[in-house]
Amino acid sequence: MVHKILVVEDDQPILDLMDMLIRKLGYEPVLVANGFKALELVQKEPPALILLDIMMTPINGWEFLEKLRGEFGMRSIPVILFTASPLIDEKMKEMKDPNLGVLTKPVSFSELKAGIARYLG
Amino acid sequence: MKRLNRLLGYSISPTDLIRFVIIASLTLLCFIIITYSLSRNLGTIYAQLFYFPVIYATYFYPRKGLYLAGACAVVYECFAYLYVFPDTGGMILVTGQALLFVCISALVAYFSEKIHASEIHNRNIVEKSPMGIILFDKNDYTIRLTNTRFEHMVGYTAEDLARMTFPELLSTPEERLRFEESVASGEEVRSFETVFLTREKEPVWVNLSWSRITENLLSCTVVDINKFRLAKLAADKIDAQYKQVTDSLPTCIVIIRDQMIVYANPSFEVFSGYIPEELLGRDPLTLVHPDDQADFLQSCHIAETGSSPLGRVDVNLLIKSGRIRPATLFFTRILQDGSPSVLINLVDIPEQENVKGRSLQDKKQRGIISTFACELRTPLQPIMGYINLLMQDPETYGVTEETRIILDRCAKSVDRERQLINQMLELSVIDAGKIPLEYSVFSVPDLVRTIINAGGYAADADITIDIPAHLTFDADKNKISTVLDTMISNAVKYSTHPRKITIAYRSSPNDTMHRLSIRDNGIGITDARLDEIFEPFPIPESGTALKFDKIGLSLAIAKKYIKMHGGYISVDSILNLETTFCIHIPKKRPAEVE
Repeated sequence: MVHKILVVEDDQPILDLMDMLIRKLGYEPVLVANGFKALELVQKEPPALILLDIMMTPINGWEFLEKLRGEFGMRSIPVILFTASPLIDEKMKEMKDPNLGVLTKPVSFSELKAGIARYLG
Repeated sequence: MKRLNRLLGYSISPTDLIRFVIIASLTLLCFIIITYSLSRNLGTIYAQLFYFPVIYATYFYPRKGLYLAGACAVVYECFAYLYVFPDTGGMILVTGQALLFVCISALVAYFSEKIHASEIHNRNIVEKSPMGIILFDKNDYTIRLTNTRFEHMVGYTAEDLARMTFPELLSTPEERLRFEESVASGEEVRSFETVFLTREKEPVWVNLSWSRITENLLSCTVVDINKFRLAKLAADKIDAQYKQVTDSLPTCIVIIRDQMIVYANPSFEVFSGYIPEELLGRDPLTLVHPDDQADFLQSCHIAETGSSPLGRVDVNLLIKSGRIRPATLFFTRILQDGSPSVLINLVDIPEQENVKGRSLQDKKQRGIISTFACELRTPLQPIMGYINLLMQDPETYGVTEETRIILDRCAKSVDRERQLINQMLELSVIDAGKIPLEYSVFSVPDLVRTIINAGGYAADADITIDIPAHLTFDADKNKISTVLDTMISNAVKYSTHPRKITIAYRSSPNDTMHRLSIRDNGIGITDARLDEIFEPFPIPESGTALKFDKIGLSLAIAKKYIKMHGGYISVDSILNLETTFCIHIPKKRPAEVE
């Protein structure tokens, strides 16, 4: 069975790219531009991994994560923060979430491959 | 008298003349008595009379006395022989008596010479002494003897002084009383400082020491300390003026010597909230915020070595209440009590302004960093991603070999762009103080070898590593690794063929800092640019600018990483010959992260 990877990202060019890259890596991408919609989708059909942008509207990546882990109790789904901001190290340490990783944009093909393989190896 | 002197070829004093008359009269008297007694047939018992002139003369003039004794002996013998000849016994007696003259005279001459020699010796010492010498009676204080030095000192002649008492020389009745009490105590006194009044009523500072030489006589040495006292008075006056100025200044002044506060003016006491006893002798570092200690130490060091006329640094100071107060410090090298010291002039940065400014600046900075990051990095993602994708699977996308080469070049450029943006962001994050250090103990030679292998630097340059095999640093390994990588890659990049790079550890066991130097045989850096190369955005210098623009921000980051450890990077360069970068980091990790 092919793993499903949910990409939550409000930047269309990046969504388009991720679609191609994830397919190339042999997974099935599910692309969502809105955090709320993404949460709905997760409930219906939990993905194997979530690639999560942080600077988004209407809810940002941190809020999404809070709801996912708290309200929806989905603690075991690995989440990779997919962000361009360099100021997240501290916050990540505070969360002490073993299923939380980070990839900094722009990420190369091999970096993405290795990042995903860490959870879906 | 003068004619007589000339006639004799040496000088005759009045004393000599009187003595001569006495000797002559005594000798004549002896002859008269003897002639008279002989004429009356009274025998030769009066021969002994000659002893008087002979001994007298010999005592004062040993050599001439001996001649006189000889002459008397001959005369006496001639006269006596006339009477006793041919009586053998009488002749022997007369001869013996004549010889006795000479023997007694020789004996007296011998001892007299000895006594005179020691007297002359002592007089010489007294006269030629660089100190004033004065002998006085301890009961009535009359002056018995003075030397020329002393007479010069007070401006009186020996005759004047002989009529005076010692206390009359002292300036005030109180001093006289103090002196008399001191003498009356009967002890030997050293270092009695007082003031003499000269003949012209000028005060002269002197230092007296005296000791007893006979039952009643005291010998006193007098040292003129007038110049010394006047200089000291002048210096005290300057000191007092200086102190008045610094004490009343509204800006704070602190003087540091040997890593200790030796002076702090009242303004600084008010600023810091500490009382003088708490400040003096204190290590100034205890007043500086840990983040600023490296800057403070460096400025102090620069001021001490005098390499820069005036250093300036903004720091946060820890005051007694536990609060932090920001200030601008100016460092100057001065001489305090004859020792090189550092004078720090402190200008208070108004607190409110600073706090408001800082938090506003902090928020603004965070905003800028985040926006900057997203705006610059995000558009790179599709470019990078698609290039990667095309190169990953050229056949699927119909990429020819030529296109692949073009794509490869694009990828390299994008990667460089990414690196530069990352460095810029890294720098902003450090400035905003968002990166913590992760301390660990690691092996330095191992790290250096890893860096060289990973960067493939050994292929481009002849690298010599002179680091003790067991050397370890207690620091953030990743950050030190970044710094060393920057240093080594720059050394390779900017050295000339044949490239020679030396990485050496230069620190003694007593040093508080590790010192690791990286030397290359490169193009060098002009003095004017030495400080600039650590600036993130230097102003380009015409001509050489191009050679340096590729350094990018790595040196600025390296400097900040080392500074976070409480250290600093120094650089020495000889143009077109070599450049040495030296990393100085504390051997002990700062207290607050232990």
